[in-house]
Amino acid sequence: MSGPVEANEVILMGHPVTTNPFIIMLINMTVVFAVLIGLSFMICLIHVVDPTKKAEEKPTAAPTPAAAPVAAAPVADNSVVIAVISAAVAAYGYSAANIIAIRPAGNAVWKNAGRMAGIQNSVN
Amino acid sequence: MEVFNAFIVSIASVWNDSGFAAFTGGNAIMIIVGFVLLYLAFVKEFEPLLLAPIAFGCIMANFPKTGFFEDPGVMLAIHYGITNEIFPPLIFLGVGAMTDFGPLIANPSTILLGAAAQFGVFISLAGAMMLGFDVKEAAAIGIIGGADGPTAIYLTIKLAPHLLGAIAVAAYSYMSLVPLIQPPVMALFTTQKEREVVMEQLRPVTKFERLVFPVVCTIVISLLLPPVASLIGMLMLGNLFRESGVTDRLSDTAQNALINIVTIFLALGTGMTMSAHDFLNVKTLLIICLGLIAFIGGTAAGVIFGKIMYAVTGGKVNPLIGSAGVSAVPMAARVSQIVGQKYKPGNFLLMHAMGPNVAGVIGTAVAAGTMLAMLS
Repeated sequence: MSGPVEANEVILMGHPVTTNPFIIMLINMTVVFAVLIGLSFMICLIHVVDPTKKAEEKPTAAPTPAAAPVAAAPVADNSVVIAVISAAVAAYGYSAANIIAIRPAGNAVWKNAGRMAGIQNSVN
Repeated sequence: MEVFNAFIVSIASVWNDSGFAAFTGGNAIMIIVGFVLLYLAFVKEFEPLLLAPIAFGCIMANFPKTGFFEDPGVMLAIHYGITNEIFPPLIFLGVGAMTDFGPLIANPSTILLGAAAQFGVFISLAGAMMLGFDVKEAAAIGIIGGADGPTAIYLTIKLAPHLLGAIAVAAYSYMSLVPLIQPPVMALFTTQKEREVVMEQLRPVTKFERLVFPVVCTIVISLLLPPVASLIGMLMLGNLFRESGVTDRLSDTAQNALINIVTIFLALGTGMTMSAHDFLNVKTLLIICLGLIAFIGGTAAGVIFGKIMYAVTGGKVNPLIGSAGVSAVPMAARVSQIVGQKYKPGNFLLMHAMGPNVAGVIGTAVAAGTMLAMLS
């Protein structure tokens, strides 16, 4: 069944399979797609069986209706965050008296700028 | 007279033992190539972290009679690290520690873009075979299209070690030229409307998912494709260091000190393979051309698949993120972001592009594993 093996013959399980570059290309692409599609299903499966998913979603969903009547001041204790921000500002030579207000940024610019900075100068 | 003769003989001996006596025109050409690469690294700032040590290695490789690869010493140790596949997995450890897999986990469908971009690898493989390279050489050349330096070196050492210099240089050069090569291809295959798509915010990913994915991915791919188990295993271990929250010191070492040290060795060692004797031939030119075709093909395939996803999802996917399927992390994702913002200021595609970008790293490793399983 198997004759003399050519230099470009692809041999699988001891049997020459093909020398056709396009068939080699097709086999490889099929395997890559199959493995990666399998991985994407696995990611979905991990999401489905994730036992921490509900526990994390509840606290974010619950406070919304409760917070509405209060409306005015945020009740969370942010003293640690304020202390850290004050210390960071102080490190640049300003006193706490220079801080007028500390509030969450209204848009995603800083967050995205942080992400951009995070991927600079890396190597692969 | 005797003193004069001794002096002449000594001078002649020093000259004959010097590199100048054996210096060839080829060495001079390669040293000029090294200067050009240094210029690109320092003045043009094309990935200087990689290109600078490669360029200097190229210059050093063309000093005759150094005996770098014969006598025990640091150069032989560096060469050993490359030829015995030590450095690529260590680089992957650092890449894993630096990379956020969250966007991929949040939107697993983008993994298909990483798979599609591997098309360039196989286009180039077929092209190389038609140009007379044998199948192992063609596979090693094709992997340039994956835009993943460590994987390219890993595969080449196993399948076609004599082509290491040309393939490594082509892979790293094209990686550093991602910001120049990809945008025209992205513009060519997309319409203005497609480029302006604003994608939905990604869902939050839990710590459980971040921890389980690398472990499961390692198990599945290592069992399926054992030849790339060390690459995938190290990539995922690095990511676990990052995500566990209790191994900050290891994560910090992997993504800073270790990857920097290994990058110096890997890039210098790659440059050291660029001696005139091994590098100046027609095959090198063909490899560099095929590498470019692979790179463009991969980018185009990713973008075209992005267009398919755009159509299937009713315009929810911006095809520009498809180009990030070639695995140059994070340069390719950055290019998607920059091109996207050029056509629609304020459009942030970066995190969406990181999905295919990470998938591209895994996809290139899978492609390498498939070829190793078939050909070695």
